[in-house]
Amino acid sequence: MPGRSDILMRNMISCLLLLPLAAMAVTLDGWMNVETGGDSLSPQMGDLEVGGFLQTGDWDILVLEKYASMDTTGIVERVVNTYSRTEIDIAVQAGPVRINPDLVWTSDLGDDKPELVLPVQAGVAYRQGSIRPGLGIEADVSENLRFFARGLYWNRDILQEDGYDLAWTDTRISGGATWDTPWSTSLTLTGTTHNTTSDYIDYDNTWNRYDVSVALHPNILTRNMYFSGDVTFSSYDGRNFLDREIADRLTSRVRLMQMGILPSISVNTTFESVVDFDDGTVRAACASLESRLVWRFLKDRDVPSSVVLSGRLARSSVRTERGGIFSRINIYRGLSLLLEAEARITPTSVAGAGPDRQRYVFGPGLEYQFGNRARIWGIVEQERTDLARNENWWRFRSGLEFYPGSVEF
Amino acid sequence: MMPYARYLILLTLALTMLVACEGPVDTTQLIVNTDDCIGCGECVEVCPYNAIEVINGDAVIDPSLCHFCYRCIEQCPEGAIY
Repeated sequence: MPGRSDILMRNMISCLLLLPLAAMAVTLDGWMNVETGGDSLSPQMGDLEVGGFLQTGDWDILVLEKYASMDTTGIVERVVNTYSRTEIDIAVQAGPVRINPDLVWTSDLGDDKPELVLPVQAGVAYRQGSIRPGLGIEADVSENLRFFARGLYWNRDILQEDGYDLAWTDTRISGGATWDTPWSTSLTLTGTTHNTTSDYIDYDNTWNRYDVSVALHPNILTRNMYFSGDVTFSSYDGRNFLDREIADRLTSRVRLMQMGILPSISVNTTFESVVDFDDGTVRAACASLESRLVWRFLKDRDVPSSVVLSGRLARSSVRTERGGIFSRINIYRGLSLLLEAEARITPTSVAGAGPDRQRYVFGPGLEYQFGNRARIWGIVEQERTDLARNENWWRFRSGLEFYPGSVEF
Repeated sequence: MMPYARYLILLTLALTMLVACEGPVDTTQLIVNTDDCIGCGECVEVCPYNAIEVINGDAVIDPSLCHFCYRCIEQCPEGAIY
């Protein structure tokens, strides 16, 4: 069972990886983000992230350590786990080839392990953690042509109630090429294969996907308008949990950005459409429209002020809607007043709540920025959710982001 | 023409297409909007089917394991899954 000694060992591995670099000239960037809070439903919630980024000429190494904690009281399902995750990401540039091995190591630390519903009606089991090594290779063959390949392997600790390890592994291998054409577009061909096995429950499933994607690079139209888009056709070969063929899919996305629609105001809009080709039937799978309006003002202050209005409508087999406003208004030096309001409609898994969950969040807060070295903030929110009966609760969230800057040695 | 009239015309066109698509829609996979996904991994934590992983900073849903319980949609702080 993963525990504190497990985390200690992971950190020792990180340090051992970094030791050989001590003899080289390196640039080190480090940062730390802490977020904490509490409310009537979840008295303790928060996460801590510490990161370091080392650069040594043709090498760079990113190390991230994250610890997240959340209680599970209350009727509203939220993050239900306490876990620790270590990420080590190494990149080596050798001429036109970039080699990128990485490792992600996750340990579930809470007393109540997350419950998983197993495929092939094999009951439930409990997640303990996972380790995921990976290797990526990219090669720039010419200025316009790039090949890439990536392999990922997950070894998961998933135990049944009787303590038996399910020996659950996932393997994902993908590769392809991107050609930047002379006509402001790029063409990408990708193949992916994913295999999931669990010997204990005799589960072995593989699916493959072949993507053809055309992307139109940002183009400036008249009057400060930018336009970009992409179309991807994904052909699947495999079966889902209902033992049906996974449908092929055509995804198209168009983005429009209008700068200076009025002085200091910009608008960004994305339209997305998805069509499924399911066993001879063509069906509209999803359509969504998202728009964001940003107004920046008091730009000569230490911290520029801004108001962001955003909204999204999405229709698929479920309905999701979201609208909100977030504003940061500078008061004095690094001190700013925060104000947020958001309304959302999503499906819900809360028993008896009906098909949709409507929630409304409102809250004022304060923030202080110490140049670009640190930011501290706190916000008091009230959330109202329409469930079987209306639930209202207060929540306090605060955070500290610290970036001491680069060190060369 | 006003400088933003073209933008409003295109916006209206997109909205019209959205309304036109609002007929009976059915999906065989959920969608992760990679523009909005921040890779926080909260969807990974709430998925009871082990069907989501964060790969290259974006949530990726395994179409063979997803059972459409919609917990990830409800949990996602950015509303990036639908």
